[in-house]
Amino acid sequence: MAFNFNWSPLIADTSRARDMLTTALNKGPKPPIIVDDIIVTELNLGSAPPELEILEIGDLAEDRFRGIFKMSYTGDAFLTLKTKVQANPLNTYLSAKPSFASPQPLAAASGLTIPLQITLSDIRLSGFVILVFSKQKGITLVFRNDPLESLKVSSTFDSIPFVRDYLQKEIEGQLRVLFMEDLPAIIHRLSLRLWSSEYQEMETEQRLDNSVDTVAPIDPLASPPQDAVDAFGNPLDSSQIDALSLDPTSEIHASFSQKNILRLAALSESQRTLSLFTPGIRDVVFRAWANHDRPESGTSTPGLTHSSLSRIQSTFASVKSNTSSVASGSTGNETHASRPSLVSQYSSSAGLSLGAGRGRGGPMRKRKKRVVNLRKDRDGAESSGISTGTNTPLPSTNVSETASVIPEDKEHEGELTTPPKSPVKAGLRFESRHGSLDVGEPSRLPEAEGLLPAAPLLADPPKLPKSKQRARIPSTVIEEPEKEKRASSARPPLSSRRMHSTQQVTSPLLRSLSFDRISTLSSSSKNPLSPPYSESTSSSGGILEQAWMLKMAQEIARKVQEEKEREASRDREESTHHPQPQSSKAPVRSGGIWAEDEIDAPPAYRA
Amino acid sequence: MLDFMENVQNSFYEASHWNVDNSYGALNATARALLDFQTPKGLRLQISSLAAPNFATSYTLGSVGVVDGSVSYLYSSLPLRRKLKSSELELKHVIRGYRHLQDLRRPDDDWWWEIWHAGKRIDRRDTLLYGRIFLPHSTLEALYLRRLTPTRQLKITAVSDSALNNGGSILALLQNDFGKYSTEYMYSTDSGLLGVRGLYNFGTDPRVDPMAPVTAQDIAEPVHGRFSAGAELYYGLLNKSGGISTGLRFTTLPKHTGFPYTMTLTLNPLMGNLSSTYAVKAGSNLALCSRFDFNFYSYESELQLGCELWRRRRNTDVEWAVKKLRPDWKTPTVTPDDDVSGILKARVDQDWRIGVLWEGRIKELLFTLGASVDLRKREQIFRAVGIELQYSS
Repeated sequence: MAFNFNWSPLIADTSRARDMLTTALNKGPKPPIIVDDIIVTELNLGSAPPELEILEIGDLAEDRFRGIFKMSYTGDAFLTLKTKVQANPLNTYLSAKPSFASPQPLAAASGLTIPLQITLSDIRLSGFVILVFSKQKGITLVFRNDPLESLKVSSTFDSIPFVRDYLQKEIEGQLRVLFMEDLPAIIHRLSLRLWSSEYQEMETEQRLDNSVDTVAPIDPLASPPQDAVDAFGNPLDSSQIDALSLDPTSEIHASFSQKNILRLAALSESQRTLSLFTPGIRDVVFRAWANHDRPESGTSTPGLTHSSLSRIQSTFASVKSNTSSVASGSTGNETHASRPSLVSQYSSSAGLSLGAGRGRGGPMRKRKKRVVNLRKDRDGAESSGISTGTNTPLPSTNVSETASVIPEDKEHEGELTTPPKSPVKAGLRFESRHGSLDVGEPSRLPEAEGLLPAAPLLADPPKLPKSKQRARIPSTVIEEPEKEKRASSARPPLSSRRMHSTQQVTSPLLRSLSFDRISTLSSSSKNPLSPPYSESTSSSGGILEQAWMLKMAQEIARKVQEEKEREASRDREESTHHPQPQSSKAPVRSGGIWAEDEIDAPPAYRA
Repeated sequence: MLDFMENVQNSFYEASHWNVDNSYGALNATARALLDFQTPKGLRLQISSLAAPNFATSYTLGSVGVVDGSVSYLYSSLPLRRKLKSSELELKHVIRGYRHLQDLRRPDDDWWWEIWHAGKRIDRRDTLLYGRIFLPHSTLEALYLRRLTPTRQLKITAVSDSALNNGGSILALLQNDFGKYSTEYMYSTDSGLLGVRGLYNFGTDPRVDPMAPVTAQDIAEPVHGRFSAGAELYYGLLNKSGGISTGLRFTTLPKHTGFPYTMTLTLNPLMGNLSSTYAVKAGSNLALCSRFDFNFYSYESELQLGCELWRRRRNTDVEWAVKKLRPDWKTPTVTPDDDVSGILKARVDQDWRIGVLWEGRIKELLFTLGASVDLRKREQIFRAVGIELQYSS
């Protein structure tokens, strides 16, 4: 899979980023030599985007994303700062000393302030980035290590070597602090402005009131401590944070189809008994496989369970992973919920699909599998990753999980070429995933990605393609944030989301994959799932509710189709970017898939 | 308002005949007193006592967010005779304002200090020891002051604070005052700072024999003022940086018949800073001061204005009658400055930063009320408000 980052819009308007940099630079106590505010006069991100290599994707949904990237940047971005410095060494020296023992010169310490302009250019960055996105909490970006490799500092005093060297040293130190501490906060605030309308209103009000210095409130959950980031287990922390999120959107459970829930229940039961039987669930990736993070954080699991119980989301997966296969019945329900998220990961990335396949094998293994190894996929190409997932459902999952956790393979499997909208899309994917969870699917999904022959087991082609499509959808999602939100909030919307996702699916490859998978998955999943379905339906709601949901789903599907058509052009463009051969198939099938989806949707609910 | 301990130290200078004003460091003391006064922050209480003529203690308690305080002790080998009780002291001793310079005094001859007893010299050098510890910061200030000769004084100040580099710093200052000119040499352990200061007074030399015949010119054109020039030079041995400045001052002397005024001009040639001050004592109760700073490298300029106003109570019922009938009557006061209800000091600069100070005495308490205001920042106009209370016995 691939992301398409659209770099140019980021370059367009940097005024906000400039303002925030300015406030960030001035918030702390400044050394006495700097006697004025530091003002960012120019900020240009340059034309060359940074290179991102996906190392891990820990969580993926329509409104959430968590991943680890390896970033390297050698672009032409530059930054110009303006401030005033005290040129009299005696002045700065005395200002930091107690007056009692000071020589108290008469005028020798009089100040001379010199305007100073510093330009930072030739910035070379390389480091591991942990990115956590939540539609409501915004983007949290943390550097796991010190990303700054080198930069060139040119200033007013370049002709004086001593001053130049001093500035170079000082600024490098300051920048390291900026990258490690300030930048995450700035990005988080910017993202909040972008996605949270409430926050925007708040900010505008603040601006009107104070006009100058407004310290944006920082969501403590949004910015996890760096310590958490250090260890691989730490990604779990971020997942915990996600689980703790105050977002109502997180409660995706409402959108789950009862049918899927039933299947998940069956699956969980089978896990408890260690039986090898796994009910087929459409569009499902096993969460346990996909979510390494949660399993890793054993301590956090209790808290996660609470949240998961209430929300039935990804948190469930974490719980499962933490708890042994013996998980209680209630946990089983939770697991169902969590699995959907896994499914979504599946669709989104090949690596995810691998993880899902593992999830099938044993409940214990599933716990660990949350993190998807994109690296592996890249190593063997996407197809290879898929194949592995299919080949080794249970045992492989464990291995793959660990592997994913460890940044062994730094290959650029999924270079991020997706447009900026991609995060939103991811969230959409999540929803779709929630909808259908098939045990057999995970393996199938990888196959599909790798272009391997779809497993014969899949009986429900339409749903699976939808999930895959959703994954590709990210770009479309951005365009249709409102619709997505609706879907997420309400159960009916879930179905609609799926529809959207299918519609949105931009890459033909995914669609084709999904078709294959769907066929296999549907066949396998339906049979085993049927008993659980009944349970799930009862738990989820009454018959009336189901009927209503179906209606809603159909309507949504129509809308989605319309949108889809609109977006189709875009999707195609995006798909062209992806080198995958399957892309050609996608356009043709998209229409057919869509139709299938609509048809399938009702049966799923009935089951 | 001066600290009690500062007042005690000044009284020591006075008792040991040391002219504090005859130093390059005090060249623009008038302007600094009228423009650079400190406004108190929060609440500060000080209780002090000159328990014996040679021994003084002082305790302060402050509250600026957190409660802190200090304890200080002072020993002087020279008995201090100045009135230091808060109910008796003269306000002009504790309130820094326009400094009306006096005629230079001829330094004592060495043999004046000699005390012989039974064929042996038993006189000792006057010494002052002072220590102050701040709590809870555990900062220690220490001062050692010794009059080596009638024209020479050694002053060593030290600060010990764990927050400082090397845990503290020591400054040694050797001052020579010959009346006609004065020199100072200093060394600070902090970055190995070396410094030299000098001040030269033009005009008559006070060391000339006072019995010299008075010429007709002296009578016809008495000396109304004094012109002084000085310079200072610093060099940091460790950080290889230095500083230099030169200054001029003209000030009127008591013989001047008009209102007293002082003009100074200081120049820092390295940093291009030029500063001129003009202070005038427009009346017995009013002093005005202005300062203009200009930097001819950065073209930055700054203007400050300040004033000092002594407000006196008047017995309006009978005052007019006294003025008319008995203009030569002095108002009988039990304590000095009893009629002073308060002294107002105010300053303002071109950025509309305003500092206001209201000082005075109520009963036996000396009080200082102050506020600094920044009219440019509307959201936080009052930068600092505070009150200080002093009591000494």
